[in-house]
Amino acid sequence: MGRVKKVKPLTREQYLKKFSRAVRWRLPPTEAEEAIADYRELIFRPERDEKMLVEELGEPIHAANLLTDGTAYRRWLKVFAVLSFGLLLLAKWAWTAHSPLNIMGYGPYWYPVWVMAVSLPLSLYWFRRHGQKNGPLSGWLVPALAVVLAYGVGTLAWTWYVMEPEVLRNFAEAQPGAIPWQVVLLRELLVNGSVAFAVIAFVALLLSKCSDRRWLALYLLCLTLAAMFGFVELNLVRMDLSVPGPEVMQSYLFSRILPLGIVGLIGTGGALC
Amino acid sequence: MLKKELLELCLLQLLSQGDRYGYEVLTPLRAAFPDTQESAIYALLRGLGKEKYTEWYMAPGGGGPDRKYYKLTPAGRERLELLRADWQHMRDAISSFGVE
Repeated sequence: MGRVKKVKPLTREQYLKKFSRAVRWRLPPTEAEEAIADYRELIFRPERDEKMLVEELGEPIHAANLLTDGTAYRRWLKVFAVLSFGLLLLAKWAWTAHSPLNIMGYGPYWYPVWVMAVSLPLSLYWFRRHGQKNGPLSGWLVPALAVVLAYGVGTLAWTWYVMEPEVLRNFAEAQPGAIPWQVVLLRELLVNGSVAFAVIAFVALLLSKCSDRRWLALYLLCLTLAAMFGFVELNLVRMDLSVPGPEVMQSYLFSRILPLGIVGLIGTGGALC
Repeated sequence: MLKKELLELCLLQLLSQGDRYGYEVLTPLRAAFPDTQESAIYALLRGLGKEKYTEWYMAPGGGGPDRKYYKLTPAGRERLELLRADWQHMRDAISSFGVE
């Protein structure tokens, strides 16, 4: 005998909340807001019996599914998977300061740059084409960008200071074989910053889809900084501070990460427009 | 003719009688097709809008806030005629088997 699926009753508010969440994930923002407004009108009609809500309207997820364009949704899931996987790799490489991969003989320190090279154009293309602005700019976005940028600039300024040939020579002479606290601090800033940026970028990605595509600016800024930090960190791991490398380390690192930063900032500005 | 097309026919027919707001469309259709949930009818209504068979506008509704009214477009009228013809053809075909 088949089992009859028991319908779990929901209050009007619970129903609308579940439906809103599902529909914002599946549909472009404007379409999602339209559907939510229509459902609000249907759900809150005085003659509507709350106990019969799910029975009459269907499960919220199912209702959202019915409004979903399957092909577009599957395409979005693929893009989301690629972008999320990129962030996961950035966080993993930052945390372990190591990658077991060896792709075509390129050093692992280039991998974060590759992630950025794929994620930046893909996300910009996708959201410019399929994302939508939704009302005025969120009051949280600019402060979030400012905080992330301040942390990024501060850490890079510290990297610049620590990588000064003179400073590095002093470290090597003062405490041969020991890791000075300035370098330990730099490592902490890079590791924790990269992991935090990967997490913030993931949240910004969700907000870009569910709320307003301009949140992509935060995603791109975090992605850029995480890639720059990853590049610096993985380079530091492979370098031996006691060999002649310190003379060129600062110019080597900054001649490579500055173009990345410029490209990332252009992308961030583009995402805000 | 599928059930979805029957629903579509009824929905377009309803709108051909005059502009209606969402609940006025859903209620009679749900009464006529009780095993169909309102979300499915609403999805159909939205789909017709995407196909440009219907349009909507906001207008004051019975003392409360503004309501969204749906109306048929010329393309929607053509679609209705097509579905009506399909339905008559199907009804005649079924009748020829003695089904009343």
